[in-house]
Amino acid sequence: MSVKVAILTGFGINCDRETAAVFEMAGAKSERIHVNKLVNGEIDLQDYHIMAVPGGFSFGDHLGSGRLMGNRLRFGLREQVRKFVNDKKPIIGICNGFQVLVKMGLLPGDDDISFEQTASLTLNDSGHYEDRWVTLEFEKDSHCIWTKGLTRMRVPVRHGEGKFVTNNKKLLDKWNENGQLVVRYVDPNQQYPSKSDELLPYPISPNSSWRNIAGVCDPTGLVFGLMPHPEANHSTWLGATWTRENLFHGQGEGMVIFHNAVNYAKSQFSIND
Amino acid sequence: MQSNIQRIEVTPRVGGGLRDVRGDTIKSQLKTDHNLEITEVRSILGYQINQELSDHQLTKVVDELFTDPVIEIGCFNLSILDNKDAFSETPEAVITVGFKPGVTDNRASAALDGFTTIFPDLDKDVKISTSISYVFFGLGDVDLNWLSDQLHNSLIETALIADSNDCAIADWPEIQFPELKDIEYTPPSSIDLNVSDEELIEISEKGLLALNLEEMKAIQQNYLDKNVQARRKELGLPHDKPTDVELECLAQSWSEHCKHKIFAAKITHIDRETGENSEIDSLFKTYIMQPALDMQQEVNWLLSLFHDNSGVIEWTPEWSLCMKAETHNSPSALDPFGGAMTGIVGVNRDILGTGLGARPIANTDVFCFGPPDYDGHLPEGLFHPSRVMRGVHAGVRAGGNESGIPTVNGAIIFDERYIGKPLVYCGTVGILPRHLPDGRESHIKTPEPGNLIYMVGGRVGSDGIHGATFSSLELTDESPSSAVQIGDPITQKKMVDMLLEARDLGYIEVITDNGAGGLSSSIGEMAELTGGANLDLSKVPLKQLGLSPWEILVSESQERMTVGVDEKNKQAFEELAKLHEVEATIVGEFTNSGTFLVNYGNDVVADLPIEYLHDGCPQLNLESEWSPPIHRPIIFNEETPPKEMGNILQRLIARPNIASKEWWVRSYDHEVIGQSVIKPFGGVNHDAPGDAAVIAPIPGDTKGTVISCGIVPRYSDIDAYAMAAASVDEAVRNAVCVGVDLSRIAGLDNFCWPDPVQSKKTPDGRFKLAQLVRANRALEDVCRAYSLPCISGKDSMKNDATLDGEKISVPPTLLFSLMGNHQDVTKAISSDFKNTGDAIYLIGETKQELGASELAYMFQEESEGASGIGGKVPSIDTKRNLSAYKALTKAMHAGLVESAHDCSDGGLSIAIAESCFGIDAGAKIDVSSLLASDDMLDSWGVLFGESLGRILVSVNPANTEEFEKMMDEIFHEKIGIVGKNDELIIMNNESEILTASITELREAWKGTLDGGA
Repeated sequence: MSVKVAILTGFGINCDRETAAVFEMAGAKSERIHVNKLVNGEIDLQDYHIMAVPGGFSFGDHLGSGRLMGNRLRFGLREQVRKFVNDKKPIIGICNGFQVLVKMGLLPGDDDISFEQTASLTLNDSGHYEDRWVTLEFEKDSHCIWTKGLTRMRVPVRHGEGKFVTNNKKLLDKWNENGQLVVRYVDPNQQYPSKSDELLPYPISPNSSWRNIAGVCDPTGLVFGLMPHPEANHSTWLGATWTRENLFHGQGEGMVIFHNAVNYAKSQFSIND
Repeated sequence: MQSNIQRIEVTPRVGGGLRDVRGDTIKSQLKTDHNLEITEVRSILGYQINQELSDHQLTKVVDELFTDPVIEIGCFNLSILDNKDAFSETPEAVITVGFKPGVTDNRASAALDGFTTIFPDLDKDVKISTSISYVFFGLGDVDLNWLSDQLHNSLIETALIADSNDCAIADWPEIQFPELKDIEYTPPSSIDLNVSDEELIEISEKGLLALNLEEMKAIQQNYLDKNVQARRKELGLPHDKPTDVELECLAQSWSEHCKHKIFAAKITHIDRETGENSEIDSLFKTYIMQPALDMQQEVNWLLSLFHDNSGVIEWTPEWSLCMKAETHNSPSALDPFGGAMTGIVGVNRDILGTGLGARPIANTDVFCFGPPDYDGHLPEGLFHPSRVMRGVHAGVRAGGNESGIPTVNGAIIFDERYIGKPLVYCGTVGILPRHLPDGRESHIKTPEPGNLIYMVGGRVGSDGIHGATFSSLELTDESPSSAVQIGDPITQKKMVDMLLEARDLGYIEVITDNGAGGLSSSIGEMAELTGGANLDLSKVPLKQLGLSPWEILVSESQERMTVGVDEKNKQAFEELAKLHEVEATIVGEFTNSGTFLVNYGNDVVADLPIEYLHDGCPQLNLESEWSPPIHRPIIFNEETPPKEMGNILQRLIARPNIASKEWWVRSYDHEVIGQSVIKPFGGVNHDAPGDAAVIAPIPGDTKGTVISCGIVPRYSDIDAYAMAAASVDEAVRNAVCVGVDLSRIAGLDNFCWPDPVQSKKTPDGRFKLAQLVRANRALEDVCRAYSLPCISGKDSMKNDATLDGEKISVPPTLLFSLMGNHQDVTKAISSDFKNTGDAIYLIGETKQELGASELAYMFQEESEGASGIGGKVPSIDTKRNLSAYKALTKAMHAGLVESAHDCSDGGLSIAIAESCFGIDAGAKIDVSSLLASDDMLDSWGVLFGESLGRILVSVNPANTEEFEKMMDEIFHEKIGIVGKNDELIIMNNESEILTASITELREAWKGTLDGGA
């Protein structure tokens, strides 16, 4: 048996193919599944070990990024998703997928998995959509199963609405204490570790996200979302400056995240393939 | 307030780290584009729902759908401007913009979908519309009507204004619900063509048919044929005259847009220079198709040429690739956003409609605009070029990004003659498996008589009627607004997902796009494959009731594909459509009856023999006459000190044609699909321009493909032959820079010409046609020499605008796009210098070729016309270039090349500066060996001349010996080394001829086209 990953598709999800590919490269078996097949029960989410909500422009992001897809999942998959997390199965949302998980209230989330929205991702302060490479730094002590052992990573951001905010600033401290503020934008010219709450200038932080937050996890560390695209750096030849580097070609920096989840699932569910 | 209309308003929370970015962006754009200082702009998103809803229901949709509780405040049936928490002060003006009835409103469609998620059981007839309000504080003395014009396009939108007096009494603008009224149905009629020639022309002009007299007479003749009349009597059609459905269908099929009549014409060509007097039977067949067919004989990888929606080449044993580029110029002139967006999503459908369906994996965008800082006279009815640019860019950005297709390559060209009609080229590369699971080769369509015809995707409306014929006419004050549409990428994305799944399941026998000409073209064309088709227009799902049959047939409403499905797969195909929430409707079936038979319910409304429909259009006879234009020479300053040369370089690099397009390019997603190897920008700071895109579409696999383009319309001012040759060479050169496999390259030709048909309106038609002849000859010569077949192409031949009694014609423009194999992307080369101390070489010969160069145009502008653009325009030596390209490619594969950058616009000095940006350091150059290589060459020519076939490379000092050995047979000169500090110094032996600071050059280069905000 292999680790089985459910990759959601449909309604403007765009990054489903590469997201499926990176889990396969990490040794799992990916299936691209139309959201409606889960909602109508044709496919049972519980048959999978990992769920991924890939990037894209679900419903064109017309009423705010991820909002309509978030509602589809919140209304259509509520119990299935809750059970998934309670069964200790990991979920990742990347870019639009992160926006979906935040708008449906699964991230940063709460202990009861109440699907109450407490944060949001709003328009970049720059005022426009942008595709550019950033450097990320990961929380050392986080219990997030996706980011184990990670220090820094270079990946692209590709969004217009990536500024992480909340209307209750006290929550930020709580999430920080819980180790939920897993990943932040940092200045690549600063020595590791350099993560900070001080707002970094554009374009080091591409969106003026509060506390330079690029991604967060839920209290269990199973549900993880981030604006940048680790799946877009799956191979060394996809880096922003790879032609300037002396490289041994192979899997790219972004792959660690997917290996982490697949390894977690293997050990958690005793899967040896 | 209208009854049964619920109003919802939402505005961003402001303060405490939250901003109204939408408002801030408007503020900053008004500052950038119009130098307007406004204290604050806020935004309100409005929604109207035409449905009785209880307050409880309204609260629910406001909280759960329309408002993000963390960042927004919403309300219903009140104005949020009266809410003091949201707006504590009274604004000075409010401008509210909403869509006119029938205009695609994507935010409303999304809202409706979200509404249905929350209330799945409510009335199906719910309709939603959207609006946006801009709220101004600290506006100063600004004409509100002018301001409102900047914020909306009256062709498709309505704007209401509240001035300071209205604001003081809280009299806020209230947009009416844009109810799309059903049209009164007009039954099919017939048109009597037994009339005088004048009346025939009048019928064509009044009906926007764009048919000439000879074509009208060919139709007239058809209905006098006894056999035709007999069959028509049998069918119950008027026996001696066409129905409106038939006439419209013929006008679409025979339009310049669909039939490419100028490229198919018989041309008598006279050359006053050489005395040539010859006859050309079709430019397309002679100079484009024949060379490609000849090359097809030599290789086994050219799978499909010319007959499908795009050309297909084999890429690997498992996969093939296809590519197509289109233009969407006329619609983009009228509504830049919608026109460009339909352009990009439209060409995506060409890919989806190739073979049995290909998946789009990369977009290219090339735009030609008037100068963004244009301050000359602007004829009434035209938008300022900066607004056209913003709109086109936003449309392509939305279309590409939302569809999940990376925009990997492109260009933006500026010239005052694009003010009348911008050129908006949109291209797409697609991938398809060589074989489907059922064994069929996926590039071959397999329709059989009896296959059901489905229309899939969007519905048909009155939007987009006459797009094909309209684009075959010049732009005038009377250009119809129905030709303008806005794309709907999400409807299309759902359809693409569904159809590619259907393809792999083996359900698709034939598929094509509904683009120009709508169903009349898509079914009409596919009917040729089986020998006939029946269509029932009453089955076609409509956006609005009452459309008459001819309108349904020719409407170009977007996001629709026509698909042929075997009866046995009917149920499975429909279930798949349902899962994806895509509409798929049977509208007819393929036959072998020999005719395209169209019904509206039980009534026959058209019967057109397939052969007549496709081959009945008479060939045009045209005349062309070439004599070379005369230009004033360029005036150079005899004594220009090195620092001043540096200043000239700085002014040149800041010109829009050369300046960095980074701000615009970064707002396209160029990395979705996770395949982007060589990106639009590289180098240590990610800001040095790349030459061509390299993508590796299969995750984990290093086999790649290269996508590049070439476009140099300036050279047409001297000779369109040189223009076309340079365009092809530039595309090839760009591809060589990244390491393309020259044994497998394929091209696309996209011509955009001013009307080249001699007439009262176009007294210089013969000359413009001669330019076209020369460009085609160059295309053939260069493509044959480079073994570079054109696998697809398109032409747009009426790029003129007559407005205010003024005619503006675009310069003859050819875009050449290229797609080629890359054997191993880990060996791809980027343009940025890599290490201080690396040796810099120039490959290829430099001649004194400054005619029509970017420098010449700069001097012309700076001298207000005293200096001309005349001189030798870059000429091509294909044999010499190809050997250089091949030798360099070999050196790259041997790992001897650190960087490679194309020398083109602005010449060698620009190429050096751009490669320097990539390492953030200068260079020390000595051009004495170049100057010594040609007696005619001076400093101007060596620094700024644009000779073809040249590539700037850098080589690690440890490899120079081996590199030089490999380049032994090729003209190459070592011209310098990569520096450490900021200084660029160019010497001629001991004397400096140019000095500049890389930091200052970069600032100038980046400053011109910074989009602000």
